[in-house]
Amino acid sequence: MSKIDDLDEGLSSEGGGGNEIIGSTSGGEAHSSGSQLKLIVQTFLENKLAIVGIALVVVATLFCFVGPLLYHTNQVTTSYNITQPPGHGHPLGTDQNGYDVLGRLMVGGQSSLEIGFSVAIIATFIGVLYGAIAGFIGGIVDTIMMRIVDTLLSIPTLLLLIYLAAVFRPTLKLLIIVISAVSWLSPARLVRGEALTLRVRDYVKAVRVMGGGSRRIIVRHIVPNAIGTIVVNATFQIADAILVMAVLSYLGLGLPPPAANWGSMLSDGVNYVYDGYWWLIYPAGLAIILTVVAFNLIGDAIRDSLEVRLQKR
Amino acid sequence: MIAFLVKRVGQSVVVLIGVSIIAFILEHLLPGGPAKAILGGRASPFQIAAFNHANGLDKPLWQQYGIYVWHLLHGNLGRSYKLNQTVNSVLANDLPKSILLVGSALVLSLLIAIPIGVFQAVRRNGIFDYAATSVSFLLYSMPSFWLGIILILAFAVNLHLFPAEAPQGQSIGSIISDPRAMFLPVITLTLVSYASFTRYMRSSAIEALAQDWIRTAKAKGLSQRVILFKHMLRNALIPIATLVGLSLPSLITAGIVTESVFNFPGTGFRFINAASTEDYPLLLGIIILIGVLTVVGNLLADITYAVLDPRVRYR
Amino acid sequence: MPLLEIDDLYTNIRLKKGEVKAVGGVSISVNAGETVGLVGESGCGKTMTGMSIMRLLPAAGYIASGRVLLDGRDLVKLSEEEMRAVRGNDIGMIFQDPMTSLNPCLTIGSQIAESVALHKKVNKAKAMERAIEVLELVGMPKPKERINDYPHQLSGGLRQRVMIAMALSCEPKLLIADEPTTALDVTIQAQILELLDSLKEKLGMAMLLITHDMGVIAGRADRVVVMYAGKVVEQAPTEKIFASTNHPYTEALLASIPKMDGSVARLYSIPGIPPDLSNPPTGCRFAERCRLASDQCRTSEPQLTSNDQDHSFACFHPVGIEANHVKVAIKVEAEEIARIEHADRKPLMVLDHVSKEFEITKGAILQRKAGTLKAVTDLSLTIYDGETIGIVGESGCGKSTTGSMMVALERPTGGKILFNGEDLFGHKPKELRSVRSNLQLMFQDPYASLDPRMRVGSIIREPLDINKIGTPQEREKKVISLLSEVGLSAKAVERYPHEFSGGQRQRIGLARALALNPKLIVADEPVSALDVSIRSQVLNLMKDLQRTHGLTYVVISHDLSVVRFLADRIGVMYLGKLVEIGTGYDIYENPAHPYTAALLSAVPEPEPEREKTKIRKVIQGELPSAINPPSGCRFRTRCERATDLCAQQEPPMTSFGVLHQAACHFPLISNVEIRSGAATN
Repeated sequence: MSKIDDLDEGLSSEGGGGNEIIGSTSGGEAHSSGSQLKLIVQTFLENKLAIVGIALVVVATLFCFVGPLLYHTNQVTTSYNITQPPGHGHPLGTDQNGYDVLGRLMVGGQSSLEIGFSVAIIATFIGVLYGAIAGFIGGIVDTIMMRIVDTLLSIPTLLLLIYLAAVFRPTLKLLIIVISAVSWLSPARLVRGEALTLRVRDYVKAVRVMGGGSRRIIVRHIVPNAIGTIVVNATFQIADAILVMAVLSYLGLGLPPPAANWGSMLSDGVNYVYDGYWWLIYPAGLAIILTVVAFNLIGDAIRDSLEVRLQKR
Repeated sequence: MIAFLVKRVGQSVVVLIGVSIIAFILEHLLPGGPAKAILGGRASPFQIAAFNHANGLDKPLWQQYGIYVWHLLHGNLGRSYKLNQTVNSVLANDLPKSILLVGSALVLSLLIAIPIGVFQAVRRNGIFDYAATSVSFLLYSMPSFWLGIILILAFAVNLHLFPAEAPQGQSIGSIISDPRAMFLPVITLTLVSYASFTRYMRSSAIEALAQDWIRTAKAKGLSQRVILFKHMLRNALIPIATLVGLSLPSLITAGIVTESVFNFPGTGFRFINAASTEDYPLLLGIIILIGVLTVVGNLLADITYAVLDPRVRYR
Repeated sequence: MPLLEIDDLYTNIRLKKGEVKAVGGVSISVNAGETVGLVGESGCGKTMTGMSIMRLLPAAGYIASGRVLLDGRDLVKLSEEEMRAVRGNDIGMIFQDPMTSLNPCLTIGSQIAESVALHKKVNKAKAMERAIEVLELVGMPKPKERINDYPHQLSGGLRQRVMIAMALSCEPKLLIADEPTTALDVTIQAQILELLDSLKEKLGMAMLLITHDMGVIAGRADRVVVMYAGKVVEQAPTEKIFASTNHPYTEALLASIPKMDGSVARLYSIPGIPPDLSNPPTGCRFAERCRLASDQCRTSEPQLTSNDQDHSFACFHPVGIEANHVKVAIKVEAEEIARIEHADRKPLMVLDHVSKEFEITKGAILQRKAGTLKAVTDLSLTIYDGETIGIVGESGCGKSTTGSMMVALERPTGGKILFNGEDLFGHKPKELRSVRSNLQLMFQDPYASLDPRMRVGSIIREPLDINKIGTPQEREKKVISLLSEVGLSAKAVERYPHEFSGGQRQRIGLARALALNPKLIVADEPVSALDVSIRSQVLNLMKDLQRTHGLTYVVISHDLSVVRFLADRIGVMYLGKLVEIGTGYDIYENPAHPYTAALLSAVPEPEPEREKTKIRKVIQGELPSAINPPSGCRFRTRCERATDLCAQQEPPMTSFGVLHQAACHFPLISNVEIRSGAATN
């Protein structure tokens, strides 16, 4: 039997000579090239909206964290120069305390983004652990663990948050912890579902036949195969956390002043709706929407490219 | 069907017990215990001890929980010391209004989302699909209060078409009698829930359209209309029933925010006020009530699911 | 004039980049009352041809050119509305999977009636009457009561009957049956094929039978059209196709199917895989894989030509015409039955009265016991070192569960499994792992059995890593040598499973199973997910590896020809019981159990004469539930020979030859007294 050495040559020289009639045992070659990750990244980058999403996130991050270094404003002491419309010195005007709105957007964005990322990381970590354990062990343990999740899910998040914010004085750390504490439920359910389907896959069975233990199965096979779903969910978590933070601030339960975030800026601006001070409402609102849209776009695009990966199996 | 119902009701009961435990824990999270939180920071130790004794708070925890559940089972949600009313009477007044708001938004959003989602699925990747997807994406990414404010700016401040504030009457009758003032709150909530329903509907319809039995129906020579409305729609709606149930908590959340934006005198508005006045019995009462409503809503959604799906109905 | 005439049809499917030329200039005609078989492997364009006739192509598909004439009317030119009047009325269609092809939310009655009401313009009540009538026609028991059932309340076989009733309700002139029995069990397949044949006679309609199964074609088609890579390569009356093929592809395809008589020791296998149709090769599309291909084949395309009026083929070097081209010679290297002399062989694994029951529970929290599913009951079997045991049976007979117990994935609920004389489940977990390395599993689905996130090198190395065998360098070396043993180049190490075809993945799976030098490999449906030409490659490889590694195989399959090809001894299972066991000859030529005989007669063979003259003993009815299996002999509910005795008493295993045993009160052959001391199971 001829053995193929040149991979890209493919099938042409395979199978022996012209009168070869006994079946060949050569298996031929793989027909396409490129790694799994490459394929995913490739499909992801083909998605124009994904690139828009990434660009928006990069711009938002630079705006919030690098912007203040270039554009110095006073965001600590109030001044009498209040509710100035956009004009010289204040490209986006000033707010009711005399803070420069553009500068405040930058500073406010910092806490919004910090909360978004921190919550996503903490909630995903807890959720993955919880879900993987429930799904992998299964049986009665799974039933109990999932009823706990069901219970927590049946009390609307915002009610819990408002209650907790009323009981404890909110600080940045506390808010992150509290929002995380109610956000880990959806990754937990998701990962549990994945673990349930993955643990009966043939390749997991194969590991058991080889003598591999549970730890190997979880670490080497279940988690790597569930990672896509986890990453997608994490991006949605960031978006949701930013929204929740905005709502809490709007309801007056966010961080006390002078700390700012986009939600509290909006909340303050609302009082001036009838005065036509649009620069107190639109910029912060757009900042939130663009950031949230960006993370949602990225999440959707990753999900799509993972699906393509499955189709191309 | 019976087996399914029994199982589902059983699950709901377990979750309800869970909800009561959470509320109980929340009550005991209060700094200095419930007594101090309710009587205020300046209450004397003697007053606190008397309060604790009167309310059984000096007994072991498990007994306290027993008493707590006993009260719950009798529909006794406690007393708001700040309003000097029972929580029950406060809620009896507020809840119908909130149900009216959330219910009409729910119905309205489904009425819009289902046909649009189906149409998007049929004309997938067409201009309309892209446009509708973009709109729902945008709505989905918008803080709900901001959407409300924008609508106020547009329709109340600039166009003077609708009032910016919800009807302020105390009774539900006075609310219904002022439909113009209800318009903006209902629309805000409708748009928020439409955004997620239409995405579900689109993907559910796309999935149904990809099934083998759609091909069978086509091979029979049926027209597009019959295939869509007789064959596809029913199948595509089955998962929507469950999804509507699952999105109840987020719908309620959006409802709370909307009530606050429009000063709508409902449960959500009451909750936020109670938070700022630190009226803990009222807060806990509302949490319990909404938890129960969510569980019941979920159960109803799943029963609808079972009725729609013959595979569950005849099992 | 033929009823249906497809004339130079081209159908393409748009992709993100480029187009797949799924059907590349196909011409087929079907006369009234005739059955034409359209065969080919997956991706050859046979289904797309059927869909093009109905104009039911997927959204991205379109007919690029060509005509489809039905009674002289060109269907391609009809408006969508006119075409709808043709579908279901002039042409009926049956699809492959009856489980997914019926709307789960509508009753079967309304699904049949709606077609009648639409095309025959009758009212609802009349349409319902007609629905009952056709259900009766397709052999649905008690159609009046069943009319309001939903699809999920029916078994697969009954659902396919509903599909047929639906397709026939308006008495179409042409029936297109696309793999109508592929998703069904062998005995149900026989029922459905028989039904289609008799209905065709009764209604005088023509049938286009699309299938990959040469056996199905041999018994049912008048004429056969063979497709390869979007083109017709040969067409002829059924007998001629099988007796005197002209095209090397058809010839190779036939030679790669294992025979039921066990005469083939090594299969022909077509090298390579079919071409990519988004960029089809110039010249003959089979040239790449053809043993006779010349430069001419690679540059110019052969046209369909005929040497006599009803036999045509597209090939420059037809087989059987020019003297210098040898026919595919089949090397008969009959490894004799003598190979199974047991006297000096040692038992490797002994299954001693093994049972496996699964508890079925109800309720969310309190998991009450609702019943037990008796997957395997009281199974005894001895597997000797170096032999191949085949286990056959229909779905739900417990054969896969038996396989799982043999590799210690499932623990029996009764009885014992001895491996090398030691109780397999008597070990501590740690020890069990080391015993396990001797027992490996070969999976059915080559797509699901390899972790998509691992490179092939890591996949094959994993068993070595787990069992800490050798240094990293030695492991690398071992991986390379395993790959070459299964016919893959060392470069595969760096690649991911998704880059390989199904057959190649099955080879990777084999390499992984071999890494631990196992004694026993349980192969659960090793080739049923593969196309015929790829299948023979894997089957040959399995035989080679057995020889070089001294392996013992347990081959589990529903495909009787595959088992006959691989196995020395074969066990037949029915509803959790082993009903018969013996050598290939015993089981296939001289069966004792009525079930074995019925199973064999139900298998369609690629031999027209045999198929057309075969006296079919089609087993009636459906498989009973394994939760409440029938008392006594479990086959009695479907057995012609059953008496009261069968219901009262379970038949014991009795001997019919040295290696031949069966459990039946009324066997088809007389049993023999075995001298004491002979091998038993």
